[in-house]
Amino acid sequence: MTLVHNWHLGRRMEYPYFESRPKHQFAAVFNINRCIACQTCTMACKSTWTFNKGQEFMWWNNVETKPYGGYPQSWDVKTLRLIDNPDNVWYTDDKDKEASPYGTGAPYGTYEGDTIFEAAKKKNINQWAVGYIPEDKEWRSPNFGEDTAKSSNQPGEYSTLPEHSRWFFYIQRICNHCTYPGCLAACPRKAIYKRKEDGIVLIDQKRCRGYRKCVEQCPYKKPMYRGLTRVSEKCIACYPRIEGRDPLTEGKPMETRCMSACVGQIRLQGFLDDNPKNPITWLVRHHKIALPLYPQFGTEPNIYYIPPRWAPRAYLRQMFGPGVDEAIEKFMVPSRELLAVMSLFRMAQTIIFEYKIEEGPKVYETTIHGKKFEMYNDTVIGFDADGKEVVRTTIEEPVHVRPDKHSNSI
Amino acid sequence: MKKFYRLLRSYGVALLGCLFLSATLCVAEEAEGVKGMAEEEFTPTKEVLNVKFVEFDCPKDVTVCSLEKALKDAEGVQVKLQKQDKAFPNGGGSVNAAEVKAVHDGTAIYFQVSWDDATKNAQAIATQEFRDGVALMFPLGKVVVSTDEKFSPRMGDRQKPVNLWHWKADWEADMVASGGIEECPVRYPNMHDDFSTNPHSVNYHKGLMQSAAVLAGGVSAHNLLSMPNRGRTVEDLNAEGFGTLTSQDHQDVNACSKYENSKWTVIFYRLLNSNDPLDVQFVPGESTYFNMAVWNGDKEDRNGQKNISTQWHPLALERIAWQ
Ligand code: SF4
Ligand code: SF4
Repeated sequence: MTLVHNWHLGRRMEYPYFESRPKHQFAAVFNINRCIACQTCTMACKSTWTFNKGQEFMWWNNVETKPYGGYPQSWDVKTLRLIDNPDNVWYTDDKDKEASPYGTGAPYGTYEGDTIFEAAKKKNINQWAVGYIPEDKEWRSPNFGEDTAKSSNQPGEYSTLPEHSRWFFYIQRICNHCTYPGCLAACPRKAIYKRKEDGIVLIDQKRCRGYRKCVEQCPYKKPMYRGLTRVSEKCIACYPRIEGRDPLTEGKPMETRCMSACVGQIRLQGFLDDNPKNPITWLVRHHKIALPLYPQFGTEPNIYYIPPRWAPRAYLRQMFGPGVDEAIEKFMVPSRELLAVMSLFRMAQTIIFEYKIEEGPKVYETTIHGKKFEMYNDTVIGFDADGKEVVRTTIEEPVHVRPDKHSNSI
Repeated sequence: MKKFYRLLRSYGVALLGCLFLSATLCVAEEAEGVKGMAEEEFTPTKEVLNVKFVEFDCPKDVTVCSLEKALKDAEGVQVKLQKQDKAFPNGGGSVNAAEVKAVHDGTAIYFQVSWDDATKNAQAIATQEFRDGVALMFPLGKVVVSTDEKFSPRMGDRQKPVNLWHWKADWEADMVASGGIEECPVRYPNMHDDFSTNPHSVNYHKGLMQSAAVLAGGVSAHNLLSMPNRGRTVEDLNAEGFGTLTSQDHQDVNACSKYENSKWTVIFYRLLNSNDPLDVQFVPGESTYFNMAVWNGDKEDRNGQKNISTQWHPLALERIAWQ
């Protein structure tokens, strides 16, 4: 193994290959607070990539209900058990962060447990990572446990904020196009590769021999075995769209099907890069409001989540790491910039590479959880890969009055 | 040798994969995950597999039974098998021996391999199910194996390519399946299937049927594992070390098999001279080496998780006695 830097964990970790980051990394922010589990994303993916023979059980995009749901069933609980670190210990003191040789390279603190790679080494199992293959019956119910709440309430007892005692939330899942993919590490044939240009992780359909090591060692269980072709398949991040090959965006990078279709407008996709005015980079690295899913697995996943503000913090910390409290606090009383950047969600299919805010007048003021909140009607502008304006919107949604002659039309 | 590289290069997609991979994540040079090999692994076994010359009329319908007589007097060698413990992922260890016999008739060579296996696994459709399999391996070209002339008995090495014949239990079932490959409803008889292949059925949708191949990555990439109507149960491959296994464009080997009394018997057969520079060639009166591996599907064996022999076995072809 080699030592690579995993910034989610705030430390170096062991991985079979050297660290090599793409110029810009395919990434997305999902705002869990807004998802209505309509599964439009799921169907957009299904009808594009997995409607075919032998793919009946495949849902490259799925939305499951936490805490009980999971596709495949209990995937996260089972993998958490394998890394053998039930307490999910992190060092999060400021002094630990300062002491970190990486400085801002440890935004959430330092993870002290074992990743899937380190657990395999420690257990001496002669595998690159710990893992398991979910059986066919575990893949059968994509939405098992839907809308089932966990509750400690007595009948007639109500939940109150900031943490509900009767709760559930939806989690939207696609392949994380990880920086250190477990699937890629596991493949003895090197049939899985991570593209230098955008960090998308793909399975070479010619080299794959259906060994299912990726199915076994991806902690998120996103590669799937296709019984018909005897090889494995996974989310391809709609790469023809990312490459701008869909005529609709005239050669410009375009968001994936699941993102574009999102009815709840919870999704924004783009790339993580070094530009602080890139909306994804700003939300993830600068404002730290969107967090990785199970960072302790150690693959540095690239789908980031704004955690649900009503769910118990301990559960969320296990799922998204110690950055949860800060993220929820910032989300509940959003800053002027956050409101602007969040207004970009689902305003265009063309990928936004940079944003600009033009200041507007103050339109509203209140107190939320004892904190002052002010709203300004700023204008936010989004630019595509070539710096061309593709979005212009204001914080206050414009009011449109339907003219009389259309009053009865749909 | 050049040809082998050319062949590798012609696998556009595959190579692209490798390129991207080496560009993004450089392989840690055989550091961990591949442990060193002991000296004795470079010494071939003492026991020689004598490939007798037997005159017989090759039956039209090649089966284990129809070849029984031809192989009756062949001397067998016992091959010791063990867990694969050098390259990650390690695995195997459930099968510890196999018997190999061989004869030739001046035109073709027949290898019979038999081993005990309490479970027959002849399908790989469900996510958690793996096939039984067996492979023979031969050095490519004329080589001498010794501690001075190191030639890895484990998948060959760089500049030391091997030719592998991999028999797969499920390919046998594919041979007789309608459509030339067993499809998911064979495993799940009551499953819903949007893809009625009966053109007279009310569910038949021509557009969908035509898209099936396009949206089956393995089929559009011409991955032999995904292709229907392969017409054989053995895959003809090359390798130059761990992780380099590559299917050939030109498939020359076939086999028949029998599973009886908790025992697999597989007979591989191929022309002595296949006319393919990527294949091992057999010359009566000359000798070479072979090695082998067995996969037990029930134990989730696949890839390097297999039962292997850690030494080459000499193999000598008897001269043709012309009458
Ligand atoms: S989520 Fe799984 S399949 Fe996707 S890149 Fe990460 S390890 Fe691979
Ligand atoms: S389309 Fe959007 S709102 Fe609907 S389930 Fe998917 S992520 Fe949630």
